[in-house]
Amino acid sequence: MDALLRCEGLERSFGRVQAVAGVSLAVAEGETYGLLGPNGAGKTTSISMIAGLLEPDAGQVVILGDRMTPRATAAKRHVGLVPQDLAIYPDLTARENLAFFARLYGLERARRDRRIDEVLEVIGLSERAGDRASTYSGGMKRRLNIGIGLLHAPRLLILDEPTVGVDPQSRNAILESVENLASVGMAVLYTTHYMEEAERLCDRIGIIDQGTLIAEGTRRELVATIAEQDLVRLKVVGDAAGAADACQALPGVGSADAEDDTVVCLLDEAASHLPALLEAVAATGASVAGVEVKEPDLEDVFLHLTGHALRD
Amino acid sequence: MTRALPNVLTITRVELLRFLRDRGNLFFVLILPLALIVFIGLQFGGAGGYEVGVVAPDDDPAAAELIDRLDASDSLTVVALADEEGLTSQVSRGVLSAGLVLPEDYAAALAAAEPIRIGYLGRPDPGSRSLRTVVEAAVADQSAASEAAHLATTAVGRPAAELIPVAEQVRADLPQVTVVTDTVGRDEVMAEFAALGQFDLGASGQLFLFVFLTSLAGSGALIRTRQYGVAARMLSTPTRLPVLLAGLAGGRFAIAAFQAVYIVAVTAVAFGVDWGDPLTTTLLILIYSILSAAAGMVLGSLFRNDSQATGAGIGIGLVFAALGGSMMALEFFPEGMRRVAMLTPHGWANTAMAEIVRRDGTITDVAIELGVLAAMAVGLLVLATWLLRRAITR
Repeated sequence: MDALLRCEGLERSFGRVQAVAGVSLAVAEGETYGLLGPNGAGKTTSISMIAGLLEPDAGQVVILGDRMTPRATAAKRHVGLVPQDLAIYPDLTARENLAFFARLYGLERARRDRRIDEVLEVIGLSERAGDRASTYSGGMKRRLNIGIGLLHAPRLLILDEPTVGVDPQSRNAILESVENLASVGMAVLYTTHYMEEAERLCDRIGIIDQGTLIAEGTRRELVATIAEQDLVRLKVVGDAAGAADACQALPGVGSADAEDDTVVCLLDEAASHLPALLEAVAATGASVAGVEVKEPDLEDVFLHLTGHALRD
Repeated sequence: MTRALPNVLTITRVELLRFLRDRGNLFFVLILPLALIVFIGLQFGGAGGYEVGVVAPDDDPAAAELIDRLDASDSLTVVALADEEGLTSQVSRGVLSAGLVLPEDYAAALAAAEPIRIGYLGRPDPGSRSLRTVVEAAVADQSAASEAAHLATTAVGRPAAELIPVAEQVRADLPQVTVVTDTVGRDEVMAEFAALGQFDLGASGQLFLFVFLTSLAGSGALIRTRQYGVAARMLSTPTRLPVLLAGLAGGRFAIAAFQAVYIVAVTAVAFGVDWGDPLTTTLLILIYSILSAAAGMVLGSLFRNDSQATGAGIGIGLVFAALGGSMMALEFFPEGMRRVAMLTPHGWANTAMAEIVRRDGTITDVAIELGVLAAMAVGLLVLATWLLRRAITR
C-alpha cells in the first residue's frame, strides 16, 4: 500500500498522564480510515499530532514524504483539519470565514473566489453565504466547520468526531458529504465513538483505547478477530449468572457472560447449538424469555478486546 | 516563511474587522470619547481666554467705552447680558468666567467724579482673581482721564465735560509710563493652560484614556478567538505560532491605533484641537498604541472568560487614567500623586503631550517620556507574547 499518511510510534503525555502510548497507522490515497474509540481514548491527541498542532514526545508523522511538526508548513498544505469543536468566527459570514482561512492557506485571489463558491455549494450554504455564522443552526455551523477544512482541496482530510451534538438530519448530511469526498479520491481520517459511523464510512478501522491502537483492519477482519463466532443473547428469568455458567460449560461455546438479566454467548454456528443452550438454561431453573442471534459488530469486537463497552 | 507577512496581515485584518463589527464597541469607541471631550471642553471654558459677562446701562457712552477697553484684551471676550440675575446664574455655573455690573448713569457719575460702585462677580478659582486685576486696570485706566479733568477744573475753573477730551488728548500725546511687571509666585497652573484651546486639554487626556481602555476592554475578543478554537485551527494551516502571535498582536495594535487616529482626526477637524508637531505626536501615539495593545494582550491571555477580562479591563483602564492625569490635568495633582502618576503610562504620555501641545515640544523635548513609554511597551509586549503563547498551546 502506498501510504499518503504514515504514523510511527506516536507518543504524547500531558504531565503524568500518557494520552497516546504508541500509535502507528497508515492511510492510503482515497482511503477512509476510521479511528474508533471511547471518549478519552487518545483520538483527539493523535489527530492533533497528525495535523501538526502538537509535537509528539516520540514517533513521527509523515505526509506525502513531508514530516509533520508544528513548524512544517509544507506538510500542512496537504492536510485539512475539521476539529471536534466548532472553530469558526460567529461574527463573520460564511464567505468571510472561508476567505480568511483561504488566505492563510495562500490561495491566490482567483482560485480563492472559485474555491469558496465551490465549497459553499458542497456544504449547502450558498444561499446563506452572506449571513453571519452566529445566525446559523447548529447543523449549518457544523457544515461550515467542515467546509473550511475542504477549502484548499487537501490530499488528506481529518475529521475529529464531526457529528457530535448534531441532529440526525444534519448528521446524515455530514456522513454523505464524507462518502462523496472519499469517492473523489480524497484520503479521510475519521475519528468517532459511534460504531455505526465507522462501519458505514470506513474502509479500514483502527480501534484505540487508553492511548493504544489495539486492533486495526477492515470491518470484516476485525469481526474475524472474535473467531467468526455468532453472538447469542438470551434474556432469562431467574439466575442469569448461573445460566451463563451453564452455557459456558457447553462444548463449542467460546464465552458466556451475564449482563443484567441477559446471557451473552459467543459460539460457532449458533443455529446448531441453540437447543443445547436453551436446555442448559432450563436445567438451572431459569427460563428463557427471549432469544436474539446476530453476527458480532464492532461494538462486540471492542467489548471482546477491552472488556468494556465503547460508550463506557 | 514566505507566507509569514501576508498571514500576519490577514489575522490582523480580521481582528480589526471583528472589533468594528461589534456594535457594543461603537458607542465606547466612537461616541463616548467625543462626548467627554466636549463635556470637558465646556467646563474648561473659552478658547484661549475668558468670557466676561457685563450688565451695563443702555446708551451709556462710558459703559460702552469700558466694554471696548475690556474687549480689546486678547484674553478677554465680553458678553453683554440684560440683567444681574442672569449674570449671576451664568457665572455660578461656569458658563462665564466672571461678571461685571455697571451702575445706571455710569457716564454721568464718571463725569461728575462721584463715587462709583462697580459689581464684580468672580468664581472661586485662581483665574477669577487674575481676571479681577484685568478689570480693575481697565476701570482705572478709564477713570484716569476723568480724574485729571477734575483736577484741571479745580485749577482753571473750566467745566469737567470740556476738559475730559483735553485730558485724553494730553494723555495720548505724553510718553506713556510703563510698569514692567515681574510676576513672583505667579499662578503657574493657569499660565500652563493659558494658550490652550477650549477642547485641547480634554482631547489629549481622553486620547490616552480611550486608547488604553479600548485595548483592555477589547481583550475579550482575544479570549473568544481562543475559545472558538480558531486560534488553534490557524495552526493547522501553514501558519506558524510566531506568525499567529504577531497577527493577534497586530490586531490589538490596529484597534488601539484606530481609536487614536479617530480621536485625533475628529477633534482636529471638528473642534480645531491643536495636536502639536505632527511627527512627535505620531511617534508618541504609535508607541502608546503598541503599549496599550500589549496590555490588552496580557489581559486577554491571563483571563479565560471574556466577561471577566472586559470588566477588569474597564476597571484598570479607568483607574490608570485617573491616576495618570487623563481625567484631571497632572498640574492639579499634589506632589505625591504626581509621583504615583508616573507609574502609569498615562502619566508619561500626558506629560509628553503637554510638552508637545503647550510648549511646541519636539522629539528631543520629549525624548525621556518617549523612551520610558517605549521601554514599558517592549516589556509588556514580551510578557504578553509569552502569556499568549502559553494560553494558545496549553
